[in-house]
Amino acid sequence: MTPVVGIVANPVSARDIRRVVANAANLQVTDRANILLRVLAALRACGVAEVLMMPEKGGIRGHVERGVARARAHGEDPYPAIHPVAMPVTGTVEDTHRATRAMRQAGVSAIVVLGGDGTHRAVAAQCGAVPIAGISTGTNNAFPDHREPTITGLATGLAVTGRVPPHIAFAGNKRIDVAINGETPSEIALVDVALVAERYIGARALWRTENFRELYVTFADPEVIGMSAIAGLLEPVTRGESGGLMVRLSPAGQTSPPSGPRPGGTILRAPIAPGMMAAVGVTDWRRMPAGVPFVPEVEAGTIALDGERELSFTARDRLSLTLRDDAFRTVNVSGCMRHAAENRLLTGTPVPVSADL
Amino acid sequence: MTENPFPLSKDDLLRAYRTMRTIREFEERLHVDFAKGDIPGFVHLYAGEEACATGIMMHLNDNDRIASTHRGHGHCIAKGVDVHAMMAEIYGRSTGACRGKGGSMHIADLSKGMMGANGILGAGAPLICGAALAAKVRGDRGVGITFVGDGASNQGTFLESLNLAAVWNLPVVFVVENNGYAESTAMEWAVSCDSYVDRATGFGMPGVTVDGTDFFAVHEAAGEIIRRAREGGGPALLECNMVRFYGHFEGDAQTYRAKGEVEALRASRDCLVMLGERVIEAGVIARAELQAIDGEVAALIEDAVRAAKAAPLPAAGDLLTDVYVAY
Repeated sequence: MTPVVGIVANPVSARDIRRVVANAANLQVTDRANILLRVLAALRACGVAEVLMMPEKGGIRGHVERGVARARAHGEDPYPAIHPVAMPVTGTVEDTHRATRAMRQAGVSAIVVLGGDGTHRAVAAQCGAVPIAGISTGTNNAFPDHREPTITGLATGLAVTGRVPPHIAFAGNKRIDVAINGETPSEIALVDVALVAERYIGARALWRTENFRELYVTFADPEVIGMSAIAGLLEPVTRGESGGLMVRLSPAGQTSPPSGPRPGGTILRAPIAPGMMAAVGVTDWRRMPAGVPFVPEVEAGTIALDGERELSFTARDRLSLTLRDDAFRTVNVSGCMRHAAENRLLTGTPVPVSADL
Repeated sequence: MTENPFPLSKDDLLRAYRTMRTIREFEERLHVDFAKGDIPGFVHLYAGEEACATGIMMHLNDNDRIASTHRGHGHCIAKGVDVHAMMAEIYGRSTGACRGKGGSMHIADLSKGMMGANGILGAGAPLICGAALAAKVRGDRGVGITFVGDGASNQGTFLESLNLAAVWNLPVVFVVENNGYAESTAMEWAVSCDSYVDRATGFGMPGVTVDGTDFFAVHEAAGEIIRRAREGGGPALLECNMVRFYGHFEGDAQTYRAKGEVEALRASRDCLVMLGERVIEAGVIARAELQAIDGEVAALIEDAVRAAKAAPLPAAGDLLTDVYVAY
């Protein structure tokens, strides 16, 4: 049976207030459709003949269908057959949840995701053992790698057709489970959970550093922007190693908590949004081992998941955060492409020989 | 009462609730009175969309200008136009904001910076560019806000105004009130680039989308965008995704909407209910305080209707007064 790949493309990521409070970019719908056509062409080149795609009303599908029709009018057929998931479109995150469940039940071999960290989180919440191939079309994306989508499509195609062995093709990823009042898990985060003092969701994005209180990250990367950058500039933690990092934050200039001075507090300047270097008060930080529940000190505020305020909590709510190793799988694009090169998977027959030999 | 966790003071939260409740009560009353045949002309109701006008207008002062639409009652009330004068205007009485000659789609009050509702779709955008140019030339830090629906956003006037505002770096905010329907045509059938943010990007200005039923989301985003314009940062576009509780106009049979759609929206996305529940749940405002406002607003609207009905119609001799401006 030939593998089928799922496609979840969010038409509305990268539309928030960071285009005003920072200098974040906007990726236009036509650009998203072009990205998808590049991915589809790469998948087809690897032998993937069918994809299952989330329907949406944001315009991506229409532009993709136009691109497919144009190719066919030229007598070309470089794309897999596109089957939309049969489901109602609500224009909310529930569409992503529903489409991912349907893809999993349909037995797709992988799901290519176009979106920000939030879109990837929504897919990861429902995909089970199906691996994700992430493409960044959001704002502060830390989870999906920033690379040419054609390569992501190629790697996914090589992985799902079995030309790259699974132990190379796929990698495990960490996540943080957020339990609220004993519900396990109430929410998940792929990169970071930030607890902030403001108790309203508002425009969702995080940029008022004076309200940052606690930060929990699955990986701490000094090469990304956003909340993970704060941790990454203190003590890098890779995606591949076990556990994460917990950082206690305070309004810049107030690095000691009200209960008493805590030596070692400092001010960190971190890129918390595109082009936005902000002073962040850091009280202290520590490793967050996998499987160990952390109970926040913050009594009331808002939980931000992967950089966006999602839900408020009060002193009556009991919060617990637990990092899980190997919680879901992704396509290891670097590993796939290196394996493809080393084994000449994309060359013809006979396989060429280096002139150095 | 506990510590206030919101970005507005308790007084401002009460003011926001009172404004939204006033718009809702005003529109619900018009819905009833129009059906009875008491009101001349057409009315287009803003019920369900109150968070947008209120969240934006709380950042403005009387020196700031707004240019409204055919669905302008909410904009007027949020900008501070007198409710009695509005009701009298809609009833066509001489005590109205425009002495009874404008009706629902032409209510204006320049003393409040309200340049007028407008029956011509997309006509507010070029007007606000003029007002914003004046503010820029005067250097008084004034900003201009224009509202446009998802349908009128396809009008040439609107698109030309985006260009003009960007070229002249005007302090304008273009607010797209996207309630999903251009009269009866769903947005995805009629908007070429599928995204208003993309449209703004094409004209060289930032665009932002927010949940227009969430007062706090609108208030926070609008605050940043308006501050940017006031500080000389230039124009921007704000898309508010919102819901319309009534038809395009009163009398619209709404055959283009799914059965139960409006009822579901009233149950799940009523911006007024959401604001009230949030401030009560946070312990900042007691339910009784909101109920007291509800009572005061109901009395205000009742009195406005009573006064409007009791007021005289314009006299025949007034036909040519206040129609043209002499320069």
